Amino acid sequence: MGAAPASRDVTSYGMGLAAPLALFFLLFFVAPLLQLLWLSLHNDTAGLHWGLGQYLHFLTDPFSLGVLGSTLLLGAEVTAVCLLLGFPIAWLYQRVGPKLQTIIILIVLLPLLTSVVVRTFAWIVILGRQGIVNATLQSLGIIDTPLKLLYTQFGVVIALAQVQMPLMTLPLITALGRIDPNLDDASCSLGAGSWRTFFRIVLPLSLPGVIAGCTLTYAAAITAFITQSLIGGGQMLFMPMYLYQQASTLQNWPFAAAISIIFLLAVLAVVSVFTTLGRLSRGYGGA
Amino acid sequence: MILNRRSLMTTALTLGAMKAFPGLSFAQARPLVFATFTGSWEEAHKAVLVPAFRKANADAAIVLDPMLSVDQIAKINAAKANPPIDVMLHDPGPALVAIGQDLAEPYPVEKSAHYKDLIAEAQEPMGPAPFFQVVGLTYNPEAIKTPPTSWADLWKPEFKGRVGITNLNSTLGTGWLVEIAKMRGGSEANVDPGFKALEELKPNLAAVAANPGALATLFQQGQIDISPGNFNAIQILKARGVPVEFVAPKEGAIAFKTTIHIVKNSPNRELAFKLIEAALTPEVQTTLMNPPYLIVPTNSKVTMGGEIARVLAKDTAELKQKFVFQDWKKINEQRSAWIERFNREIKI
Repeated sequence: MGAAPASRDVTSYGMGLAAPLALFFLLFFVAPLLQLLWLSLHNDTAGLHWGLGQYLHFLTDPFSLGVLGSTLLLGAEVTAVCLLLGFPIAWLYQRVGPKLQTIIILIVLLPLLTSVVVRTFAWIVILGRQGIVNATLQSLGIIDTPLKLLYTQFGVVIALAQVQMPLMTLPLITALGRIDPNLDDASCSLGAGSWRTFFRIVLPLSLPGVIAGCTLTYAAAITAFITQSLIGGGQMLFMPMYLYQQASTLQNWPFAAAISIIFLLAVLAVVSVFTTLGRLSRGYGGA
Repeated sequence: MILNRRSLMTTALTLGAMKAFPGLSFAQARPLVFATFTGSWEEAHKAVLVPAFRKANADAAIVLDPMLSVDQIAKINAAKANPPIDVMLHDPGPALVAIGQDLAEPYPVEKSAHYKDLIAEAQEPMGPAPFFQVVGLTYNPEAIKTPPTSWADLWKPEFKGRVGITNLNSTLGTGWLVEIAKMRGGSEANVDPGFKALEELKPNLAAVAANPGALATLFQQGQIDISPGNFNAIQILKARGVPVEFVAPKEGAIAFKTTIHIVKNSPNRELAFKLIEAALTPEVQTTLMNPPYLIVPTNSKVTMGGEIARVLAKDTAELKQKFVFQDWKKINEQRSAWIERFNREIKI
């Protein structure tokens, strides 16, 4: 390696090919982000006085912190529901014939092919006072008066879980597909029951997929402005709506910028927890 | 000229850039850009106002660029010296913001043929109001047999869990809260009584929608039976077969002026003026008053007809009597504090 200066190191690679995309990101992602940061460091809406006032305002205000907390919690709930419902589907996918596999993948992908707005409206019809759920329960005589499902936290979690489900299922399908099926048989032949095999073999080996799915679902769920506001209504405030309100209705751009930066950092913190878990699980899986 | 790779590349890039950023090349020669609102407004303006303008101005080029008021303000602010929009349309709150930020040109009143025919409330020297939006009570006639008559009816015990409102993000929500405050002895400067009334309304509240559009969905789904609502939005729902009726409460229907402004530093000032003139003519306003648009006219020469005459007012005199106009200058001063308070207090 490196014997003559003219010969090229085959293990190194040029950055030239990445340059166009890097430039694009620099121009349309990094620069606006810096502008956002710059804006958030001003105490007045006109952007004349420097200071940390916007951050202080947010971080000392129990209401704002409550909005942040409930948004992060919402993401956790949606992710948990997606994982619990998505894992069996992914597991099933690896164990059925090619025909059923096509059907499963179609069902998983179908939501991605319709717009989020359409999917969310469908949930309004399902969860509404005269919606499918209430009508069924009433006709079965289980309830007398319709349940309030729309405009509740429960409704938002259910709708978001369905809307974001593909983001969980697809990485899981890939991860489970990478596991050698012989390992299952080996585990069984060595005397482990099917639950033991699942928890000791399948689950640990699928962890990279679980982590990837959780990260994607989490990030998508907490930023899902449309579903949050249509199913949650105007009195359930999550970070995206809070941000929109400050920027759009109140024209308070510095505070809105501070909210975005805080939100961004909070999400980055959660995602980095996921990534750390992912790194640990890779060690586990390789062991 | 020698064609080499480099010069070809430069030419291609330049052409591409001109295509991608048309503003770069011919700032003076671009068509008139009118930022209307999205949805039914855009449809109405495309079908009626634009043809009328083009007919009167030798087929002058015009582009509709529908967007929200706040987006209009942001876009113009980003390029004040060479604004990408020539004519903007605003609700009363954002209109004052735009004027406050020095984005609007005074309307050349003395040149205008129609300005003096507008009813007094619509004569705004910084940009006249070609249309009104009217907010009253909306209800489902299948569920509510006796039509409501007053805002106070929303508090009736029989509407427990049947009332819908919107939050204060919208002009409708804010205007309605001010009206409720007034009903209970408050004013644009003091909405405390309004918040107290909201507190008492909680048992009746089925939904706080994130925007007025969402209220329509809630009616369709039977989630709510009664709410404050926009006259136009209700007519659209009604035309689609949803069982809804609009009634002007006895306290007066809330009227918002939708104002239209020439953007400061617009390269198309003259055409912008012509477009606004077209919007003020009795002909355009009459067409827009008829179905399917049902937009409330502001020119006193328009003879009221149809649904508007039946539900709102037969002529301008009655209209003035039945409509309530609000002081948005006062409202804007405290609106952010109210939104914050609403965020905190209204949890159902």
